[in-house]
Amino acid sequence: MRGYLLFVAKRALQLLAVVIVGITAMFFISHLSPVNPVEAVLGRMTARSNSSPEAIAAMRAALTDMYGLDRPLFEQFVSFWQRLVVGDFGPSLLAWPTPTMEIVGRALPWTAGLLTVTTIFNWIVGNLFGGLAGYYQNSRILKVFGVVTMGLQPIPAYIAAFIILIVFGFVWPVLPISGGFAMNVRPGWSFEFVGSILLHATLPALSLVLVGIGSWFLGMRALVSNIVTEDYVTYAELAGVRKPRIVFSYVLRNAAVPQLTALAMVLGLIFSGTVIVENVFNYPGLGSLLVDAVNAGDYSLVLAVGSVSIFAVAVAIFVVDLLHPILDPRVRTE
Amino acid sequence: MDRRQFLVTTAAGTFMMSATGRAVAQDAAAPPLADFPRNETVIIQNPEGAIRNPGWFNIWVNGGGGWSNGLHQWAMDTLWFIDPDAGIPDKSENAIYYSLAEGPWQYNDDFTEMTVKLREGIFWSDGVEFTADDVVFTVQKQKDTPGMTWSGAFSTQVEEVSASDKYTVHFKLQNPNSRFHAVFSVRWNGAWIMPKHVFENVEDVLTYDYNPPLSLGAYTLHSFDPNGTWYIWEKREDWERTAMREVGEPKPRFLIYRNNIAIDNRLIEMRNGDLDMIHDLTPEGTFSIIKEDPSTQGWFPGFPYAHPDPTLPMFIFNHQNPKFADKRVRWALALMLDVRALSMASYRGAATLSAISIPPTGTHPRDYHAPLQDYLINFELDTGSRKLKPYDPTIGKQIADMVRPQFGEQVPTDDEEIRKSFGYGWWKTDLEAAGELLTSAGFTKQGNQWMMPDGSPFEFTIMVWPEGVINRLAVLAAQQWSLAGVKVTPEVVTDSWDRQAAGNYEANVAWSVETYGGHPDLAFFLDSHHSQYIAEPGELQPARNWMRWQDPRLDAIIEEVRSVDFNDPRALELGREFVKLHLEEMPNIPVMSYNVFSVQSNRYWTGWPNAQNPYANPVTNWSNGKYIFTQIEPVT
Repeated sequence: MRGYLLFVAKRALQLLAVVIVGITAMFFISHLSPVNPVEAVLGRMTARSNSSPEAIAAMRAALTDMYGLDRPLFEQFVSFWQRLVVGDFGPSLLAWPTPTMEIVGRALPWTAGLLTVTTIFNWIVGNLFGGLAGYYQNSRILKVFGVVTMGLQPIPAYIAAFIILIVFGFVWPVLPISGGFAMNVRPGWSFEFVGSILLHATLPALSLVLVGIGSWFLGMRALVSNIVTEDYVTYAELAGVRKPRIVFSYVLRNAAVPQLTALAMVLGLIFSGTVIVENVFNYPGLGSLLVDAVNAGDYSLVLAVGSVSIFAVAVAIFVVDLLHPILDPRVRTE
Repeated sequence: MDRRQFLVTTAAGTFMMSATGRAVAQDAAAPPLADFPRNETVIIQNPEGAIRNPGWFNIWVNGGGGWSNGLHQWAMDTLWFIDPDAGIPDKSENAIYYSLAEGPWQYNDDFTEMTVKLREGIFWSDGVEFTADDVVFTVQKQKDTPGMTWSGAFSTQVEEVSASDKYTVHFKLQNPNSRFHAVFSVRWNGAWIMPKHVFENVEDVLTYDYNPPLSLGAYTLHSFDPNGTWYIWEKREDWERTAMREVGEPKPRFLIYRNNIAIDNRLIEMRNGDLDMIHDLTPEGTFSIIKEDPSTQGWFPGFPYAHPDPTLPMFIFNHQNPKFADKRVRWALALMLDVRALSMASYRGAATLSAISIPPTGTHPRDYHAPLQDYLINFELDTGSRKLKPYDPTIGKQIADMVRPQFGEQVPTDDEEIRKSFGYGWWKTDLEAAGELLTSAGFTKQGNQWMMPDGSPFEFTIMVWPEGVINRLAVLAAQQWSLAGVKVTPEVVTDSWDRQAAGNYEANVAWSVETYGGHPDLAFFLDSHHSQYIAEPGELQPARNWMRWQDPRLDAIIEEVRSVDFNDPRALELGREFVKLHLEEMPNIPVMSYNVFSVQSNRYWTGWPNAQNPYANPVTNWSNGKYIFTQIEPVT
């Protein structure tokens, strides 16, 4: 147990370091943006309406002062960390003076939900079918499954999203193509609302599943193809151990360890894939929020979204790390 | 349940609980379970992205709420509206609607005071009467509070505002200003009136969300998406106690504004009957929906379909860069272009060209383009070697002939219709004349490369938007200039407006001209062209003289415009003088109006404005588009 606690402590320190370095990098990258938030807001306030040059100059001065953008970058950096340690990312410049975390909080559940369910679904189904395909190498159904996933896997998520949009929105319009839930549904704990959420999430999720499941399938099939030739599997078969036990306890469990490591490594990539899918389906998640914030030069919001994403991905990797000793006793012993 | 099942179930459950829980927590304004009958409901695409602070309705502070989500069309009102097109006959005067004001503005002789008589019997949606006190409060509050939307406009122009009586407002201005009323005249928007009885009790107006908003217009907020992608408005039972009574009853009971819809989705949603008005599409998207769905319509009955916006995309040169200081150079660059190819590349031919610095839209062709045709045809340019007439009045017809093989009968054949759709004419491509101009300016040619008088190659960069028709326009222009011996490199940037304001550019494609469209007065953009506003290199230039063009003759025109009334015929004459001066100097190269591919569906509603019946601008985000809803009818 002490070994496990040490393992956890080490990983927790790593997590902390990753989060601090990542967020610091985010701060400086977001401030390198050429977009001036004051000009973006001014553009919105004065575009297409009558404002004299004097009026615009007065507004520019007022907004620069209000947003604190006339302070040196280092001073802004220090005050950013002072606020951050108490969980405050400051007000959004795009939606002044609303706290950025309030805006992020609205978008986060949608992305987290979409990402969590599709990632776990992809990992479990891909690995399960891949494992079975590696063990039952003569199964026709699994061979067909392999061919299909191999064909889909190289397609970028955004292409898949557009194809799905056209198929289910235009050719056979049976599923909603925009938004998080229907307009005439009252949000709440009702079948109508939950059903509407699931219905609206179907196409974005399908885009992520279709292209995401293949890599797990192929990886697992290759791993299992090697493991089935191991002595302990042959011995178990000769000893008359039941097939399901061999598959799930001896083969898949051993093959799952490197797949779990791979899951930790690709979490960041999966997050970036949702940015485009959310935009295609106008899904109200973090991805489209980040795009808007970058375009508007809203440093605070970019930082909040970026930091939450860094934290979420780092914590997910941390959790995956903690699962390792549970799955693999050798790690526990070390 | 084993460990694996437990983990999966927990994760899925957490997702469902968190997503649903958040949504429940934001149930502040959720709609009841109800349908919106299509014969009572119009569904409109609002071009705004996802609204990040959806519960923010304080339009007087930039708090991240939506503007064109119905808020500034329906909950807001102000003194006057100016239509970008002709306006509804008998309901508007010279495209001007008197909204909260009973009639036009009244200035004293030296334009240092303005008096406005307000309509009586107008009520806020909570039953409180609208009076002069609301207008006075609106001005005073923003004047006293920096950071509000019209704080700058009022603090720099208004000396004093007062209510002479319950329905009369009197302004004393800091300086003579014959266009002060423009602050309260809606083009896209205007200074909206605040409800005094609400805001006078607000401690900090900069942090007040104004949720739910009161309405001074014909509709009130019914409900909105907590994720900021739709807003539903319902007609007030007492809509006749709003200024809309002067124009007519808006027909739909419900108006649904949907935003954050990608272009492909817009096409699909309209085809599926889930959108009645699309704000804007790509040219290709428009051709596609018109072909797919016969119930849809554009502005023109056939090609090019698009509505010419009262903005004028143009090639803008930084006059503080010595490369562009000589007008002969700017004219040479204009004559190197083949506008037919530019039109085909940017708009697939669906562009409405303008050789002059006025967008060819609304009533401008009547006031500027048609009367100036003879002047343009006879306009002579001295190249230093000879005099030539560079204007070709047949360019629009040539483009119509170019697209006819593809679009057939959709392309007009009548000369007048062609001029309306494709523009009157443009400059002939004349590389020889361009060479003569450059030679007379001291340039020399080495091989195919023009060299500047100092011996260095004449080359520059042009800022290009990342996508869209403007991107295509700029890239092709750069190619044409490069082929003609001036190496031009497109520079794809996302912050071209910022850099343009900072003077941190050589050339750009943008617009320094925006007009009312329905009214010939040009002060909306022209006043800012006065040399008093020219920024020093490196400092920010206020909108909209991005070129930093200065000329004493231009100042003289602007100063005289300031001294005549908005409706004075002399203002139109001065506008034409500006056009002629612009032709002589070519400070930028106007190309075409910013054509907006707005599409409407006649499946559920009909009677939309179009080129034959141009009573309003069909775009959905301009607040003066509200008058459309008095003219449409449900399809029976």
